[in-house]
Amino acid sequence: MSFLADLLGSQIVRTVLFGAALLGAISGMLGAFAVLRRQSLLGDALAHAALPGVCLGFLIAGTRDMGSIMAGAFFTGALAALTMMLITRTTRLKTDAALGIVLSVFFAAGVVLLTYLQAQGGAASAGLASFLFGQAAAILVSDLWIMGAVGLGALALILAFWKEFKLVSFDADFARAQGFPVMMLEGGLTVMVALAIVVGLQLVGVVLMVALLIAPAAAARQWTNRLGVMVALSALIGALSGVGGALISATMRGLATGPVVVLIATSAVVISLLLAPARGLIWQGLAARRARARIGEDRILAAMQGLARAHDDARYPSEQGMLATALGDAPAPGRFAALERRGLIRAVAHPPETTPHWELTSSGHKAAETRRPDAERTP
Amino acid sequence: MKTLHEPDQALHVEDLTVSYGTAPALWDIDLDIPPGVMCAIVGPNGAGKSTLIKSILGLVRPVAGHVRFLGHEIGAMRGRIGYVPQRHSVDWDFPTTARDVVEMGLYRSLGWFRRPGRAARARALAALRDVGMQDYADRQISQLSGGQQQRIFLARALVQDAQILILDEPLAGVDASSEAVIIALLQRLRDEGRTVIVVHHDLTTVQSYFDWLVMLNVRIIAQGPVAQVYTPDNLRAAYGRHLAMIAVPGPETGAHTRPDPAPTPDEGVA
Ligand SMILES: Nc1ncnc2c1ncn2[C@@H]1O[C@H](COP(=O)(O)OP(=O)(O)O)[C@@H](O)[C@H]1O
Ligand SMILES: [Mg+2]
Repeated sequence: MSFLADLLGSQIVRTVLFGAALLGAISGMLGAFAVLRRQSLLGDALAHAALPGVCLGFLIAGTRDMGSIMAGAFFTGALAALTMMLITRTTRLKTDAALGIVLSVFFAAGVVLLTYLQAQGGAASAGLASFLFGQAAAILVSDLWIMGAVGLGALALILAFWKEFKLVSFDADFARAQGFPVMMLEGGLTVMVALAIVVGLQLVGVVLMVALLIAPAAAARQWTNRLGVMVALSALIGALSGVGGALISATMRGLATGPVVVLIATSAVVISLLLAPARGLIWQGLAARRARARIGEDRILAAMQGLARAHDDARYPSEQGMLATALGDAPAPGRFAALERRGLIRAVAHPPETTPHWELTSSGHKAAETRRPDAERTP
Repeated sequence: MKTLHEPDQALHVEDLTVSYGTAPALWDIDLDIPPGVMCAIVGPNGAGKSTLIKSILGLVRPVAGHVRFLGHEIGAMRGRIGYVPQRHSVDWDFPTTARDVVEMGLYRSLGWFRRPGRAARARALAALRDVGMQDYADRQISQLSGGQQQRIFLARALVQDAQILILDEPLAGVDASSEAVIIALLQRLRDEGRTVIVVHHDLTTVQSYFDWLVMLNVRIIAQGPVAQVYTPDNLRAAYGRHLAMIAVPGPETGAHTRPDPAPTPDEGVA
């Protein structure tokens, strides 16, 4: 642990660690709403559209001043969002096409500006390229204060307007019919996402920023059916990804913090997609198998009861091969063993035949009654 | 205080025209629905039924015309109108429970900054009981069947105790038992004196479920008591060449022929 203490003793590492954790928490929290409102791609467009703003901010300030760079990024991001809205309202283009156009045009403009500025020379303009993929080491303590303020502001707004944001995210038409100021609420959520992107540019860059919005939310959604839990969990996953990424890149040379953070967050998505109870692929596969097994067993019990009734003998010994024929396909032998283990059927000998025979126990009869395959199943 | 305009009508629409692009979706709609009726709005797919509902609720901005509820503009009536949107208009995988969705109907009356508490929970549970869904209060909404989801939506409108209920295709993709529950409930609300306005897609049940009828196909084709409006001429005017496939009004008894298999002119793939 002294190793970790050494790491944390470094001012730069601590700053990066706090910054990454804060950013992960902010974008996780806001990303949850963006994902539920199906606005993930809007986040991507906003992030890419921030690049020309970064360059403009630099041009106007003449130095790499974070304040003007963030203001520029926010400005062109907002401009892009407005352009998108105008395109979808006034033309027949759908949202995805409008997003694609705006994203690429703004990003192209950003790259042109960037290369132009770099060609002009100057030590500071060289650092501008780091906004493409982020440069965590460039974070200053003063940036942490900005992040903290944005994070606290967003948290306060979300807590204050929790039920309104929930309603708007679930059913905006109903909210409008109830007289809620839906434009303001949706706009508020979008502006907060834009702010999260702006404060994240330095760390993750415009290209990867969207992953930090989507990934924690997508992972969190797998584990819960409550909006509150999802938002909190998404913030936590984001923060942990940030911490993990900062620590890994601090210990290993040459690993950029931002992309590592993004990789950790996306592994959380993969793990959640596979493992989460109820929604995870593995769990669903198991559930489907259990359902198949149950249906198979129900059919065996029903067939045995049918035979017993036909012979007017509750303890009629059904031959396994005959049951297989009756069911149209051979049930796995394990099914009989499983039914026997649960005391629903019992193996009997029926000389002179040597093939396996089974009879229903009394609880087997009861189960066959209540679990008839055609009986209605609760959803 | 402004003077009321047409206060004797639950819904009064005049000269309403709505256009999304070039061609109008609704053209020169004049419509009156008296209080205390259960009214069906029918018309072929794309006739503008949803658009009519959205524009009278102020969700779509009309090019022209005005709308009044019991003489008031929509802004003054928000709390007194229950709205049930088309079920497919929302994402049912949203992380929330049935009771939570029903409580959304109370958000407006709670006001800003206040969260639903015990009283809201009790009212939500009562509304769930009204639609026969009390046992599903804590279910994640994606685990409900289409009919159950529709009942949840209905409960969300009920919990407001609204004077006027407006429902967009509440029976589309709904199982028979849910349909029976929903219709019985709507008829009870009508009998209590409320006005129930339903976009309906199944012509074969119009006569048995409703007492007032509006036929729409971009324009108003006909409106009035079902017995007067549900005529072959009006149906032909509303549905045009599709008429061969749809129900023809029966004799005075209210019985009607049902084509077999029963195609519904306005139902896409459910
Ligand atoms: N948001 C929209 N943008 C453009 N056109 C729309 C929009 N909503 C509906 N329309 C068009 O308006 C017409 C009426 O639609 P709608 O009111 O949904 O009909 P209905 O509910 O009767 O099936 C249709 O032609 C439909 O394509
Ligand atoms: Mg419709």
